[in-house]
Amino acid sequence: MTSGALAGVKVIDLTHHIAGPYATKLLADFGADVLKVERPGGDPGRRLPPFFHDEPHRDRSLPFLYLNTNKRGITLNLKSDEGLAILMDLLADADVLVENFAPRVMPSLGLDAETLREHNPRLVVASVSNFGRTGPWRDYKATEIVEYALGGLMYIFGAYDREPLKHALHQAQFKAGTNLASATLMALYHQRLTGQGQQVDVSIQESIASALRDVTNNYTYVGAVRRRQPNHTGDLTRLRAVSDGYVLPNPGIGASLDWQILVDFLEAPELDDPRFENASARLENAEALGEILDQIFAIKQKQEIFYAAHQKRFIYGVIDSPAETIGNPQIQARDYYVPIEHDQLGEITFPGAPFLMNKSPWAVNSTAPALGEHNAEVLGALGYDAQHLAYLTASEVI
Amino acid sequence: MAGPLQGVRIVEMGQLIAIPSAMKWLADMGAEVIRLESVQRLESYRTDSLYHNDVEGEFWNRGANFYEQNRNKLGMTLDLSRDEGRAVLRDLLAVADVFAENFTPRVIKNFSLEYEDLRKIRPDIIMVSSTGYGFDGPWSNFGATGPATEGAAGLAYMTGYKDGGPVMSEIPYTDYTAGEHTVAAVMLALMHRLNTGQGQFIDVSQTQTCSATIPEALLDWTVNGRIRERIGNEDPAMSPHGCYPCAGDDRWIAIAIDSDEAWYALCRVMNRPDWAADERYSDVLLRIRYREELDKMLGFETRSHDNHELMAKLQAVGVAAGAVLDSEDLLFNEHLKQRQFYEIVEHHPDTGMPPLPYAGRPWKLSATPAGAPKAAPIMGQHNREILSGLLGKTEDEIEALKEDNIIGDSPLTPRGVRRPSLDEQVRQGRMQRYDVNYAEQVRDWFGI
Repeated sequence: MTSGALAGVKVIDLTHHIAGPYATKLLADFGADVLKVERPGGDPGRRLPPFFHDEPHRDRSLPFLYLNTNKRGITLNLKSDEGLAILMDLLADADVLVENFAPRVMPSLGLDAETLREHNPRLVVASVSNFGRTGPWRDYKATEIVEYALGGLMYIFGAYDREPLKHALHQAQFKAGTNLASATLMALYHQRLTGQGQQVDVSIQESIASALRDVTNNYTYVGAVRRRQPNHTGDLTRLRAVSDGYVLPNPGIGASLDWQILVDFLEAPELDDPRFENASARLENAEALGEILDQIFAIKQKQEIFYAAHQKRFIYGVIDSPAETIGNPQIQARDYYVPIEHDQLGEITFPGAPFLMNKSPWAVNSTAPALGEHNAEVLGALGYDAQHLAYLTASEVI
Repeated sequence: MAGPLQGVRIVEMGQLIAIPSAMKWLADMGAEVIRLESVQRLESYRTDSLYHNDVEGEFWNRGANFYEQNRNKLGMTLDLSRDEGRAVLRDLLAVADVFAENFTPRVIKNFSLEYEDLRKIRPDIIMVSSTGYGFDGPWSNFGATGPATEGAAGLAYMTGYKDGGPVMSEIPYTDYTAGEHTVAAVMLALMHRLNTGQGQFIDVSQTQTCSATIPEALLDWTVNGRIRERIGNEDPAMSPHGCYPCAGDDRWIAIAIDSDEAWYALCRVMNRPDWAADERYSDVLLRIRYREELDKMLGFETRSHDNHELMAKLQAVGVAAGAVLDSEDLLFNEHLKQRQFYEIVEHHPDTGMPPLPYAGRPWKLSATPAGAPKAAPIMGQHNREILSGLLGKTEDEIEALKEDNIIGDSPLTPRGVRRPSLDEQVRQGRMQRYDVNYAEQVRDWFGI
């Protein structure tokens, strides 16, 4: 008999868009009881493209459907007294409240962490915001690209002589969401041991800035400022174009590489040259090496060189499109993609468990809620009758 | 009280980033992490990016990447390729809550360190394995790097300039994605153990953790049959949206116009009433249609501005804008300073290194904050403390282990990597520039 790791954990989820919902998805997919509380107009994440069959509809945004699995959903106007009263009722026996409003919003609603914990001392109040809940940039506006710029990842991302780049899609949001889940779980662990709730403050900017290898350290260690890389580089692990796509060569680990094995593997006698014979020499002659490597790789084939490399235990990688990654034999063998039946839309194939836990497995038991889907069920359990629900609906509280 | 995880003991057989970065964050929050390495196999993060680029002496105790990934851990050397080493590991596992490793399954199987083996030593142990592609399946024994899994997961394919091939950042990005998910996974397992008393096996596939963060593109394929192509810094729903040049050498600003109000505010700050009056730019769909000409016009105007000043002006009127911070900007950033994001770490006196700032964590916990940071261990620093204090080994036993190089405090075959001179690195384009008085600047800014 297995159950989710968070069986019995009750989460009130005020989050919207991506970062917060990804955190609560991680909690919900591992067993927490997550109640998603949306404004009556709905989570703006319901407008995130792409849509199911390109039909814009508040219940058909594909990222929304992914981000809100296993959650029940109600609507609540937190700017109304009745809405706030209902929220406080819901929080009375909750373990966690998660929110990703701008930092000034919760206090302006009278929902600052201190008030909330007076109401329920066990409550973990978990927040994620662009720049954290304190500091001079607290109220700065940000979107994904601004987080890349101010988190320090963008400056070292892209071609040397072109504008810096960001990743495709919404990596900063997902990164912060993952960190929010981790930090919330740490606070929850402490709550289970001591009964004490607390406040969790996650910053999206810091989520980027704390995951940069050898960036600020290059400055503190030698005074150097890193930059994007030139087109020709002898970095042996640089992405290279092959005849039918792209590969990531990697002949193994740093200083201990036996160069001759690499020369033989690439069938490239021109690399058998004292300029390249050890790691320090290769760094000195990086540009010449890079040009030769570009030519060598241009005539290779992606799958062929990838498998041949792994025969030699070189740790090569491939660049796969979404279609290719879904068809990848390893990913298929692990059944990563899972078909999930949606009562309106039929079967949809979703990315599945980010990690496998053998005793408390990841599972999707319900699809994302339609807007207000559980209003009657949840408010009914709080003691509101049909007549009162009608009044709340008419007065746009729900 | 320092951190919510006091009382949790983790034995880490990690390398590079994926497991070490995750265990560092758990160590920050109070877990006791015992990190294993060996004197036979010198980890590359101990040999590269050295303090002062100095390969003399005990350079393996001066590697930036090692310090960055291993803060707050205890360090122990152990040769696991020999029975005596594995016997010590078994003793450690008997008193461990978590065993964390990121080697290929082949290595773990050779060492008899699979979950079923560990359970016999400690029935409620949590084992976390972090691999590129997962612990089972046809690619399970394929070694992987961050860039390789970013490629396999589908993220790299979509990232890059509109007119070019895939582009990657200059860090092994998905190592961190895996590490971040690993922290969550270990916490889930600790919660499950609190509830049930059960340990378990966690199998983290770096590729899967990355794919989990790109559902927009993966679902567009599974549902709509569409492959998303590279669009550089464009955003399908915003315009202007991009990275624009500013005054100075390699200075940039990112600007995202997400509403009509933001557009008119941008026009005011750039002092271009003619843009605001132009009907062709009056709503977002039109601005998306004229994206290319808008980007050109805006990029021409931003050229004469300092990127930090322009950011402040735009933010003051509610426009999402950010100077593209280089590493010096990031380190000497007033906001991060007030947040106490960088933490000053004292190094072991044998290293000759001064106290230096390191990036902290992306979270703050009000009641159980992280404790004062301790530097990553120099090689073998805690051998004696662990063997004698924790495992009760005698002096003779410890000496015998040392004699056989099962433990030790320096690598048997040290090979440092000297990087080219800074002038050469700048000429090659590896570095943007360098400062000669950096040490003083760091001391002054952080008050060290």
